[in-house]
Amino acid sequence: MLNGVFKKTSYIPLDMGRDNSVIEPSVPDGLWKKCPSCKKAIYNEDLNNNFKICPKCGYHFRMNAKERIGIISDEGTFEEWDEHIDNTNPLNFKGYVEKIDRMKNKTGLNEAVITGKCKINKMTAAIAVCDSNFMMGSMGYVVGEKITHMFERATKEKIPVIIFTCSGGARMQEGIISLMQMAKTSQAIKKHSEAGLLYITVITDPTTGGVTASFAMLGDIILGEPGALIGFAGSRVIEQTLGQKLPEGFQRTGFLLKKGFIDRIVERNNMKNILSKLLYMHTKETASLRPPEYYNGRNFMSGIKTGMDKNKSPWEKVKISRDSKRCTAIDYINEIFKDFTEFHGDRCYGDDGAVIGGIATLAGIPVTVIGQQKGHNLRENQYRNFGMANPEGYRKALRLMKQAEKFNRPIICFADTPGAFCGIEAEERGQGQAIANNLFEMSALRVPIVTVMIGEGGSGGALALAVANEVWMLENATYSILSPEGFASILWKDSRRAEEAASVMKMTAQDLYKLKVIDRIIPEPSPASDTNLGLISRIIKNNLKEFLSLYMHMDKEEIVGRRYERFRNF
Amino acid sequence: MFHKVLIANRGEIAVRIIRALRELGIKSVAVYSEADKDSLHAKLADEAICIGPASPVESYLNMERIISATISSGAEAIHPGFGFLSENAKFVEMCEKCNIKVIGPSSDVIRKMGNKSEARNTMTEANIPVVPGSDHIIYDVDEAHEFADKIGYPVIIKAALGGGGKGMRIAVNSREFEERFETARLESENAFADDGMYIEKYIVNPRHIEFQIMADSYGNVVHLGERDCTIQRNHQKMLEESPSSAISPEMRKVMGETAVRAAKAAHYENAGTIEFLLDKDNKFYFMEMNTRIQVEHPVTEMVTGTDLIKEQIFVAQGQELSFTQDDIKISGHAIECRINAENPDKNFMPCPGVINEIHIPGGNDIRVDTAIYNGYQVPANYDSMILKLIVHDQNRYCAIHKMQSALGELVIDGIDTNIDFLYGILDDQEYKNGDITTDYIKNYIKKRCEK
Repeated sequence: MLNGVFKKTSYIPLDMGRDNSVIEPSVPDGLWKKCPSCKKAIYNEDLNNNFKICPKCGYHFRMNAKERIGIISDEGTFEEWDEHIDNTNPLNFKGYVEKIDRMKNKTGLNEAVITGKCKINKMTAAIAVCDSNFMMGSMGYVVGEKITHMFERATKEKIPVIIFTCSGGARMQEGIISLMQMAKTSQAIKKHSEAGLLYITVITDPTTGGVTASFAMLGDIILGEPGALIGFAGSRVIEQTLGQKLPEGFQRTGFLLKKGFIDRIVERNNMKNILSKLLYMHTKETASLRPPEYYNGRNFMSGIKTGMDKNKSPWEKVKISRDSKRCTAIDYINEIFKDFTEFHGDRCYGDDGAVIGGIATLAGIPVTVIGQQKGHNLRENQYRNFGMANPEGYRKALRLMKQAEKFNRPIICFADTPGAFCGIEAEERGQGQAIANNLFEMSALRVPIVTVMIGEGGSGGALALAVANEVWMLENATYSILSPEGFASILWKDSRRAEEAASVMKMTAQDLYKLKVIDRIIPEPSPASDTNLGLISRIIKNNLKEFLSLYMHMDKEEIVGRRYERFRNF
Repeated sequence: MFHKVLIANRGEIAVRIIRALRELGIKSVAVYSEADKDSLHAKLADEAICIGPASPVESYLNMERIISATISSGAEAIHPGFGFLSENAKFVEMCEKCNIKVIGPSSDVIRKMGNKSEARNTMTEANIPVVPGSDHIIYDVDEAHEFADKIGYPVIIKAALGGGGKGMRIAVNSREFEERFETARLESENAFADDGMYIEKYIVNPRHIEFQIMADSYGNVVHLGERDCTIQRNHQKMLEESPSSAISPEMRKVMGETAVRAAKAAHYENAGTIEFLLDKDNKFYFMEMNTRIQVEHPVTEMVTGTDLIKEQIFVAQGQELSFTQDDIKISGHAIECRINAENPDKNFMPCPGVINEIHIPGGNDIRVDTAIYNGYQVPANYDSMILKLIVHDQNRYCAIHKMQSALGELVIDGIDTNIDFLYGILDDQEYKNGDITTDYIKNYIKKRCEK
């Protein structure tokens, strides 16, 4: 329609000797950059104003050390350490010295890492940033020396350390001396750790080889930038050795998160915020608690009407405790605590969706929080595995508890599981060993532990989070040697007699309180779903505050001793 | 002098610009999306370049593609029209870096005027009355609430980067303030990816009077009288007139001079509009400045006998304005009706579709700006305005009758339009009396429903 019917502009180009002062339209160099991920053109200024994150697809462009320090440290607070350490050429490698000189001129850096001290949202930390522009950020004597010396100095000054890793690995030109840097840095980190100090690593693209196999993987907390590559052997080497294609996303931070090796992925624009929050939660100064006497004879429940219903049968309670609308661990955690920062992974096999954990604050006190997590619907439950943990779930819990012990944080657990996951792979990875190890280690942790049974307390799976100084139960939660169905099936060969089993198993809060298996019953306005989440959380929170005020003032030996006595009595 | 200009727009405004360029002997380059391959602007221009899929983000808002189309077609300048990138400072800045002239003000001026609080501060410094409001962007609901309590209700909550009624809410009392603030903020966040808000006193039932100004690079600023855009629905204009029946010649002089002062304060160049609110006591306040040509510019052209698009091109080429303030005489009265592909009975739901038949009115001083034709498919991806009908006559009374006659002749068959709705307004005694405020449409709809 209407194609080629209109008369166009009659146009006589007049050669008026085109004005030379007029510059023809053209795109100046560097106005746009192509994103390697989404392949779209990005306005360079947008990129620089957006932490070098592609505004279209979120790809994190590589950043050099100086840019990194610029976006992480508070303005004007960075103080560089060991700026000049002389290079050595231990192998007398031909051309190495000249190459170093060329790199220095080209990059304006003295070596592949910058170390120093700075403030991050007013929190002080020693910081090291690797730079891939200098010989791929490889680690030779100077890099090893700067990192090591930074840890030694941080240990002396009693300050935390943050390293942004990025490296091709060991520096080939320095041969075996480069390999020794891995041991040298690692032992300095161990000393820093033994002094009870915090070390955070941030994995940036790419981190490989000897750096991965030393300081990159040793952080108390390991964060990663989205999409960053991290691995020991290079993917090309693996591909050639095995003669097979590697899966998509192999060795990227998302892959490692799933495999349990990093705590969380943090976008660059949120990095400073998260780092300062973590630093803050590891400072010694904590908010003052009320003295234990304040709580003497105090009734947390005054004015709170609960639906305490004495007439509910044990079987009814079993059903209530399993209700999919019932509040789960994360619901309580978000309601009770502030700044919950979740950490993932067991650092050896995977990240279990059935167990969540991390650090948070309660009345200004940093605490470690761990919960068994169910989903509210099928989709959530596919990820949460219906709250049935695998061995990696228990190992993640234990890892976080050990971390809590190092930083002297109380541990608060929320148990809610039908039981430990029963499956072939779970057995292969040592389900029994994982649970046993938790009981073994928890018994001696030198920080207070309290466990709240919020739903189903299924057997060893629940106990693996409940070797605590105190165990509390919500009024309609259950806790038992196994499910009433399983009980009926073992004893009477008939799982249909579950209701009868429930009535004899003594699995309700009231029964268990009498048996001294639990220490407190948390009244539960029913239903314990969204509607009453705020109220129940407040009751738990008040109880927790009282618990902390008593135990935080207690001697460590006594904390462990009391826990020992508690279970010795059964 | 420009040899070739690219039009970074679509629809009737693109057609309007192509016509002006053709009359000046300048070659035109149209850009179009895949959904617009049959659109009139693409067919009418000397050259046409497809710049991407239907979604505006992928085409008419895609700065990189528009700039590369400009460079590869050899155009020296871009006319951005209205909407899309017309007030996007970043786009203009990119063009400046690429030596492409954007027909309009510089990126600095757009940025300054586009930021409501900065615009207000500039005006306050130049002694131009502004509506009482916050002098900086507010992010915090508590701070906003406290401020609203201070200046008194009702207040209007606006997105700092807002426009077109998005991210805008009115709170009539302190109790509902926080909820309104949060809704507006959410809307702003979604529409402009920014949650900076701005609070000002809400002038109840004001008249919306805007002054057209034209400025060149030699410091000459001329105003071309006002337009009365009081007839709005949800801050979307429907019918505009010039001159306004609400202001006297003396008032026009005062407000016009204020508008010129405002443009000078902003170091303005090219066509722009100063929007004022006029309250019941004939007090007027600067509201905002639009740094582009506007939809309703034809009414000004009709009463002043100027061609604003051509004037924009002259100024962009570095020429002086072709008229002085003394040359501008407001003669007669002009009215514009915006014809939209929408159904007024279904809450003005957009109704894209195929135009089976169109009959366009003609006659003395009747102007139609449109890009639709028989068999044209109105795409669903863009604004629903499809035609502007403008009439001019010796006074308001005659203009209303002429508009009615013209609307009565306008037939667009195949899709729903608001022609009958507008026809009804022209028949309404209240409208005819001229005593109207911004809530006119709300009341008119009620009246219409009762019938």
